[in-house]
Amino acid sequence: MQHSFPDPESQINASRAAIRLSGVTKEFRGSAEAAVADLSLDIEEGSIVALLGPSGCGKTTTLRMINRLIEPTSGTIEINGTNVADIPAQELRRGIGYVIQQVGLFPHRSIASNIGTVPKMLGWNKKRIAERVEELTSLVGLDHDLLSRYPDELSGGQQQRVGVARALAADPPVLLMDEPFGAVDPIVRARLQDQLLELQSEVRKTIVLVTHDVDEALRVADQIALLNVGGVLEQLAAPDDLMRTPANDFVRTFVGEDRWLRRLHLNLVSSLPHHTGPILPIAATFGEAREVLAAEGVSWLGITEDDVFLGWVQASALDAVEAAGGSLADLERQLPAAQVEPTSTLRSAMELIMVSNTSAAVINEGGKFGGVVTLEGIRRGLAGDTS
Amino acid sequence: MPDSARPLPGQVAVPRDIGFVDWFFDVGTWTDKGGILDSLWETVLLCSIVTIVAVIVSVPIAAALAHFGKAEVSTTWLVSISRAVPTFAIAALLVPWSLRRGWGFEPWPIFIALLLLALVPIYLNTYTAISQVPDGTVDAARALGHSETSILTKVEFALGASVVLSGIRVAAIQVVATEPIRAFLGGDGLGRYVRDGFGQNNDTLVIGGMILIGGLAALTGLIFVLLERIVLPPGVRRLARQQGDRTR
Repeated sequence: MQHSFPDPESQINASRAAIRLSGVTKEFRGSAEAAVADLSLDIEEGSIVALLGPSGCGKTTTLRMINRLIEPTSGTIEINGTNVADIPAQELRRGIGYVIQQVGLFPHRSIASNIGTVPKMLGWNKKRIAERVEELTSLVGLDHDLLSRYPDELSGGQQQRVGVARALAADPPVLLMDEPFGAVDPIVRARLQDQLLELQSEVRKTIVLVTHDVDEALRVADQIALLNVGGVLEQLAAPDDLMRTPANDFVRTFVGEDRWLRRLHLNLVSSLPHHTGPILPIAATFGEAREVLAAEGVSWLGITEDDVFLGWVQASALDAVEAAGGSLADLERQLPAAQVEPTSTLRSAMELIMVSNTSAAVINEGGKFGGVVTLEGIRRGLAGDTS
Repeated sequence: MPDSARPLPGQVAVPRDIGFVDWFFDVGTWTDKGGILDSLWETVLLCSIVTIVAVIVSVPIAAALAHFGKAEVSTTWLVSISRAVPTFAIAALLVPWSLRRGWGFEPWPIFIALLLLALVPIYLNTYTAISQVPDGTVDAARALGHSETSILTKVEFALGASVVLSGIRVAAIQVVATEPIRAFLGGDGLGRYVRDGFGQNNDTLVIGGMILIGGLAALTGLIFVLLERIVLPPGVRRLARQQGDRTR
């Protein structure tokens, strides 16, 4: 699928764009404090940056300055090196997707016409608009039957997806989202967040997302810019770094006391240092088995053959089988109940370990043995302690 | 018969005891000079001009004020006094003013009085229609790159079209129903039948005039219903139906 429609009318015609805010200040008339004070921020192209913070932190103001719905008092905002103030506002906005909490669909126009709003303004012909609308409908996972309906006939989640499709219609390199999932229930919200990530893996837009929901920021953002009241940037970091090394007390308080638990959601099994644990190939000797058991301090042992995990054996059974003249292959094996994928979160790995009788989960890497996960391994992984 | 009951020159002259059917369904009653068709034309012409001028004055002002979110207070204030516009009194007060300037009885006093009557519902409905458009919709339209003019015409007006139209309808009906006072201020139009019927103590004329005025007002309403069908796009009509369902 081709997603790039460089539009001659748009001055931001690159398929990707980086955004740079330099010393941006916004003072509203009649207000003593600045809404945003001297904010500088670099947003990498193709990344999702969450502007996170309490109410009054200027996150929405910051977002709206990017497409000039609000003009900064001082400072500059550049998209791909072009100062946005140098681009006529309407032209600029047609090159930037915008999604808001209230969705703001046009209630008197059909879904198809809503999605085609910007292409129509850009003067595309009917056929091209219709094709693009079809393509976007599939992209955001909407049923094509809905195209002839009106916004009020759709559920909140469907409306929000139409909002995203409308924002992406002219394939803008930048997408601004202001609390986009704030008005839908938690289940739909989680699904829309997942869908946004899926979509992003296809379209690779530079996305700036405003939210006050820590979990949402952690879930979708590549980088989180945590703002304090008055638009003060407290920390800009990847979600896990924000949790692991909060820059100050404000960040620590804002992300919450349970930040270590949140990190279990954020980190994947694949992020752990490779750890094979008490595992031996089936051809190993009883002597090697006893060495490994002593070294790991456990009473069970995993057996592999040609990189495939065969099962667990109990240490207590070793003596009897050795006395009977058998090998490791003759030990009674239990197949592992706890199996995780490299893409599982640490939280789900931990849950499996809790309910298994071996206090370890086996990593199944496409059918091959990929190591084991233990609670101690998770603790070390999160602490950044590789010893 | 007292003198006052005899038709004066320029008044409707019919026998006092004429039956309603004999009078109303006589071709001459309609087609004679100063007959019903002439009177109807006078009324329709004045009412149309008043309504059109009221639209031209009210709609842009209300739309601009509502678009920029101004005049919330003065609009509320206007709502409360609009119920009490004494059209007849205003017109009566304007007559000496007009005569002093040598402009005669007609058309300025009645025109101004009716215009004041028509401005209010059109202004209020337009203001309401535009300020009721959800902020999110306007915000999204702006962020998608609509110009302010195109937000006003393609989004706010389109969304509020049926409310604006019904304001114009209410104004037009009120104007048609009020215009007959003109006959009491030195003018003619359909009001002449009521006036002369009273003057000559002729019930047939009063009833006939009443039916004509009421009929024209009803017809005006009907024309606007048809107009809504013709000018409003399906999406806007659908929305108007829903708003109607909600308020019913």
